[in-house]
Amino acid sequence: MKRLLICLSAALLAACGARTPEAGKTEITLMRFFGSCESQFGQVMKASEGIGECGIVTTLVNEFNATHPGIVVKTQIGEWGPYYDQLTARLVSKDIPTVAVMHESALGDYVRRKLVLPLDADFARVGIPVDDFTEHARKGTTFNGQTYALPFDTWAWLWHINTRLMKQAGLATANGEPVLPRSPEELLAQARQFKQKTGKPYFAWAVANETAANDRTFQTLVAQQGAALFAADGKSIHMQQPAVAKALSLMQTLYQEGHVRPNLDYAAANQAFLNGEAGVVVVGTWTIDQFLRESKKPDSPLQGGYAVRPFAQLFDKPAVFADGHSWALFKGGTTDAKGHEAALTFLKFVWERTAEWSRTGHLPVSKTVAQSEAFRALPQRESLAEITHTGASMPGNVPTQRNIELLIGEDVANLLLSGKPVAEVQASVEKRVNKALQKARR
Amino acid sequence: MNPLLRRGWFDRFVMAALTLLALAWMAPLLWVLALSFKPNEFLLRHTDVFLAPPYTLANYLDILQTSQVFRWLGNSALVAGLQTVGVLVLSSLAGYGFARCEFPGRRWLFALVMFGLAVPAQSVFIPLHRLFSEWNLQNTIAGLALPGLAAPFGVYLMTQYFKAIPTELEEAAMLDNASRFKTFLTIILPLTLPAQATLGIFTFLACWNDYLWPLVIATQPDMYTLTRGLASTQTNFAQSEGLGFLMAQAVFAGVPALMLYLFFQRHLVTAVAGTGKS
Repeated sequence: MKRLLICLSAALLAACGARTPEAGKTEITLMRFFGSCESQFGQVMKASEGIGECGIVTTLVNEFNATHPGIVVKTQIGEWGPYYDQLTARLVSKDIPTVAVMHESALGDYVRRKLVLPLDADFARVGIPVDDFTEHARKGTTFNGQTYALPFDTWAWLWHINTRLMKQAGLATANGEPVLPRSPEELLAQARQFKQKTGKPYFAWAVANETAANDRTFQTLVAQQGAALFAADGKSIHMQQPAVAKALSLMQTLYQEGHVRPNLDYAAANQAFLNGEAGVVVVGTWTIDQFLRESKKPDSPLQGGYAVRPFAQLFDKPAVFADGHSWALFKGGTTDAKGHEAALTFLKFVWERTAEWSRTGHLPVSKTVAQSEAFRALPQRESLAEITHTGASMPGNVPTQRNIELLIGEDVANLLLSGKPVAEVQASVEKRVNKALQKARR
Repeated sequence: MNPLLRRGWFDRFVMAALTLLALAWMAPLLWVLALSFKPNEFLLRHTDVFLAPPYTLANYLDILQTSQVFRWLGNSALVAGLQTVGVLVLSSLAGYGFARCEFPGRRWLFALVMFGLAVPAQSVFIPLHRLFSEWNLQNTIAGLALPGLAAPFGVYLMTQYFKAIPTELEEAAMLDNASRFKTFLTIILPLTLPAQATLGIFTFLACWNDYLWPLVIATQPDMYTLTRGLASTQTNFAQSEGLGFLMAQAVFAGVPALMLYLFFQRHLVTAVAGTGKS
């Protein structure tokens, strides 16, 4: 018991030890996800030496702190899942981070509640050229004509392709390029041919325990038909339209005919692809780096046979679901002008190194970088650059987009996993999403 | 002769069924343990390998090299310790009051406390968070520990336990001029040790494993508890990478709680079996 008390006392002392800001330095806080990897990159002081999302963002901050002696950026890491719950909790309790990473799809809710600072004047003053933002990045960070965040990347919904299996299925050109379908009928024909020749399903994508993948595929297919899923004012969803029925029917047919490996969650879908158990995994830009590394391993089924393309254009319009990460400054995040200036200095620093971040697989938000030789020389990026202007997201005036994504994704999962009829899915999504939108507007 | 063989066939069947169920229950835990010793790169493609090589300690080293992990460990120990002590004191006092003291509205008050058992903790999160924020208790040990002191289960358990203790013991003490508080403290309370151990373990484990409340009340890394801190180090979306690291985190966070359980196991079994009354 005595020992227990000693341990508790020691822990109390440790926990109560106050930490003071470093003397003479302006401290700003940076809230982000992307994980923690200080054991690997804590001492690496050059962003160019970081690897992966976590490695690059960690070394970016390290480099900033090392090269700006008057400022210290303190990173506060939140985890992915409950990130916005925690951010909201912090805002409510006035424990406000100076800078926070945000998905562009989530930014609108915070702008509407007047929690985020407009940045046009500041960007002009410190030399961040808004005109150089790519079309998608600009759309994602602009609300009512004002810029509210510094875009960090555009991420999109892609087809990661095992070209060795495609070749085996007779779906590759002579030089090994995958032949992508150009209509739903062509896709079904390809999938049947693929199954016949390889004995494997054409697709792997996360259908279980994950709603985002289902929603993003669905939204891509609707956007490619030029249909507007949401009303112009963002107050309602319109599911009773032919484009929606077509998209859902295609997804259901693919699943029911066995062209999607069944019951996989996110990690299992990626694992199936890496093990050569499916021709295409439908997932975002963030896995490019990882899949490229795998494709270089001699024992990998992907070895020398990996390609990535935007989600194949199956209808008239080139469109692919896209979102983006951005950095926002919050009202009350700094107590003085010095802190605000320090935050802007950090944003400028990040903007100038946006090319480093695109090594993760995410697409650059600067037109200059997107068109640069350096970016296009990165493996597989040439074909992805178009997404910076074909990327399609929910309109910015649709509130609580993460929740809407969840509601749509749940019903699309029912469509695939339990064979819920298309008409019932349309009715259910419309009812549930409209109810959520009404509630969000109150 | 083997004692098991001396038993009847029904007993042997029950034993075999229980062993199978125990193995089924333990399989995921053993899987977690096995994966924690595998390289993350390897797990990208193979998560179905149980005991075959390769093995690595890198995942555990990565945890230990996370600079604040011992601070989080300290925070967890402190918060769980304070909460456990607080719940034991309050539940014992309240339980004794409800079991032994007559006062107006006792039954109604007890019913009101029991009503707390039916209210999910999550449903009071928003008002609780606002209240604690108003009091500037965000990112404090008090903010982390205080909400757990409201423990209707503890009050219920202790009330029932006190009721089961013969009143003659107290009457004898009072005949010897002991005050009610002295009777409670020196005669009755020591008899409730098994119940205290049970309540203590349950409270400690619940607090140690709590993730949701620390998620909203502790937003500075310095004030994270272990569950909250380790979760913040997860490296990528949906954990398709770094699976070994994730499993090592689960083992690391679970070991102190397991040790505590093993240490107090006897009391726990005694109290749950209801044989600690004598």
